[in-house]
Amino acid sequence: MEKNFIIAGFGGQGVLLAGEVLATAFMLANKNVTWYPSYGAEMRGGTVNCEIVASDEEVSAVNKHDTDFIVALNQASFDKFLSKIKKGGYMIANSTLAKEIKTRADINYVFAPITKLAEELGNVKMANILALGVLAKASKAISLEQLSEALDSVLPAHRKNLLPLNLKALKIGYEYDLLPV
Amino acid sequence: MATQVFKIPKSLKENMKYSFCPGCDHGVAVRLVAEVLDELDIQDRSVLIASIGCSVTAYDFLDVDSVEAPHGRALAVGTGVKRAKPNQVVFSYQGDGDFASIGLAESLHAALRGEKLTAICINNTTYGMTGGQLGPTTLLGQKTTTSTMGRNVEYYGYPIKIAEHVALCDGTAYAARVSLDTVANIRKAKQAIKKAFEVQLNGLGFGFVEILATCPTNWRMTPEQAHERVRKEMMKHYVPGVYKDITETK
Amino acid sequence: MITEDITNKKVLSKGNYAIAKASILAGCDCYFGYPITPQSEIGEYMSGKMQELGRAYVSAESELAAISMTLGACSTGVKAMTSSSSCAVALMQETLSYATADELPLVLISVMRGGPGLGNIYPSQGDYFQATKGGGNGDYKLIVLAPSNVQECVDLTYKAFHLAHKYRNPTVLLADGLLGQMMEPVEFKPYPYAEIDNSDWALTGAKNRKSRVIRSYAPLADNQCKFVEKLFEKYKTIEENETEWEEMGTEDADIILVSFGSTSRNVKTAMKLCREKGLKVGFFRPITLFPFPNKRLNELASKVKKFITVEVNMGQMINDVKLAVNGKASVELIHKAVGAPPSPEEIQSQVEELI
Repeated sequence: MEKNFIIAGFGGQGVLLAGEVLATAFMLANKNVTWYPSYGAEMRGGTVNCEIVASDEEVSAVNKHDTDFIVALNQASFDKFLSKIKKGGYMIANSTLAKEIKTRADINYVFAPITKLAEELGNVKMANILALGVLAKASKAISLEQLSEALDSVLPAHRKNLLPLNLKALKIGYEYDLLPV
Repeated sequence: MATQVFKIPKSLKENMKYSFCPGCDHGVAVRLVAEVLDELDIQDRSVLIASIGCSVTAYDFLDVDSVEAPHGRALAVGTGVKRAKPNQVVFSYQGDGDFASIGLAESLHAALRGEKLTAICINNTTYGMTGGQLGPTTLLGQKTTTSTMGRNVEYYGYPIKIAEHVALCDGTAYAARVSLDTVANIRKAKQAIKKAFEVQLNGLGFGFVEILATCPTNWRMTPEQAHERVRKEMMKHYVPGVYKDITETK
Repeated sequence: MITEDITNKKVLSKGNYAIAKASILAGCDCYFGYPITPQSEIGEYMSGKMQELGRAYVSAESELAAISMTLGACSTGVKAMTSSSSCAVALMQETLSYATADELPLVLISVMRGGPGLGNIYPSQGDYFQATKGGGNGDYKLIVLAPSNVQECVDLTYKAFHLAHKYRNPTVLLADGLLGQMMEPVEFKPYPYAEIDNSDWALTGAKNRKSRVIRSYAPLADNQCKFVEKLFEKYKTIEENETEWEEMGTEDADIILVSFGSTSRNVKTAMKLCREKGLKVGFFRPITLFPFPNKRLNELASKVKKFITVEVNMGQMINDVKLAVNGKASVELIHKAVGAPPSPEEIQSQVEELI
């Protein structure tokens, strides 16, 4: 069983870190996993994404042409990756920054006001981790506990003071009411 | 009673086969290095970085551990040796082409980093080993096999004053230019070489000596004429002296 | 003894960091480098770690200097390495040639990007020739190891230091931007190889022994003939002892897909897809690119109809496969010039077209 995930947004939204937390969670769940970032001559503020492939066997490939789950933190990412979602896959979108339009009938949409929820929590930078909570619930691919454990191991020592807030963000995302179509 | 006043330095190899041309100053320069190694008693912890050009054969004469560097890379190789083994005394023996043309970046950056290295650079205003072509130090007007009408600025630009450039680097502890044209100057040259080793031994920084030297073969001169040229032409443009010495208190 | 990175459990690590940490654990005493994407994380990691450990680190003025510093450090017998990528590895070729002639245990991490020229920073396998055939002068070989995942980046970095010192020959870890940038769970085990005594050749100062000269300059033709022949005897020993590869599904295969490095991951998956469709396809991955598994490929050539090499370049390793197969079977190519490897599905459909 293999699943792949793309987390996308603009630079500064913590897309790569969210991907690292997700990949770590899969590792802690004893899956094989590969994390691969978009990289290039990037400018500050440009779009960023990373792909995480988790598998019970050897990871088959990265840079796949289609994907099971997209987490789109802004409109540009929503537009860019919509067509890459596999039939039956999920578009998990940040409705604070992306319009709630459903043009594909063969996929599931989850719209959550991720940025707004993070702001309400008191730190907009928590949007990436909050999004992971939403993803965990929708995908059932990883548990909240494993993500929490992963957060603990990924946050560097000098950022450990932010762990409680991150865990809270994760939980808010996880408990956000899902509205699949 | 007879006393010995002159002998082969301990730091020169026994039964070495001399391979420099007659009248070439390389032989004097190598001997001075050997004498300094003896006097400082560092032969058994020194590593020579041999460069490309006639200078490469220094490892045939100096009885120390030696490694040969690719062309121009002598002070990069020296940096590697010294950083790996900080207690070794590491020195390069290079020509002007190796030090100041193909290796200028390595040379100046070693000085800028203040590497605890000693660099001896032979300036004979030509590429000797390849047959007397124009090098970075070839004087204006000088005829070589690649400046047959004499060095002009329009085609070749200006010669480099090496010691002055090295002295400008903040990591340089000692930089001097010497000549081997007279006995007095040979004595001075030895003192400069010694000083360039001492700054390394005392961990003060980069030590450098530029030695004005003859190349009678490629200059098409007798040894006497060649030394005359050093005095009359080279020393005017390349003025001997100490260009930097951080141990001097003013 | 450095133990802090030995975790006895898996940690998620980027390929470049994994290589850097492995080199620390392998006992790398000296690192010299100059930044270039997609391998700059190696130098970044080493700059802090080496200073913390009191080991040697220099931000060199150029790749010419970086590899020459590495050569200098190696001449004293210590473990030393540099890392770079494609167009900058091109600058290092001269010193690699010197280091083979000097018989020095230099380790080079080469993280390939797109070329020719400045090219781009995306993954590529365009430097297969650069690594295995060399851009330096004269007859020489580098030992070349090609990892296909992040764990192998660790294991083969260990091995690179080991083989470099065992055979006193420059050794290249040939990774690419994909491996350098990806993260995967890895385990950092202790350096598994015994330390190799080099007291009979290292430059440590001629104290109570004769002075030593490490040189490549050989003014006499006869001496140079003898020396090069001796070098090639060493290469023969390396071929006999160190050739390494992975194969799967080759027992009953009609067709064998041959691929190295990160591309081989997709090729292995493509092989499985072909098998699901009932095609008798096998998979073969050289792990050592020099020594190349000529003998095994030649054996397999007696049993199969066709080899297909899959590479992210215009077809480089295919030449070595053809030489190994020596006309016993046809050899074809599936490739892409630069970038992430073709997907398993693309490979599978191209395999079907080639049948």
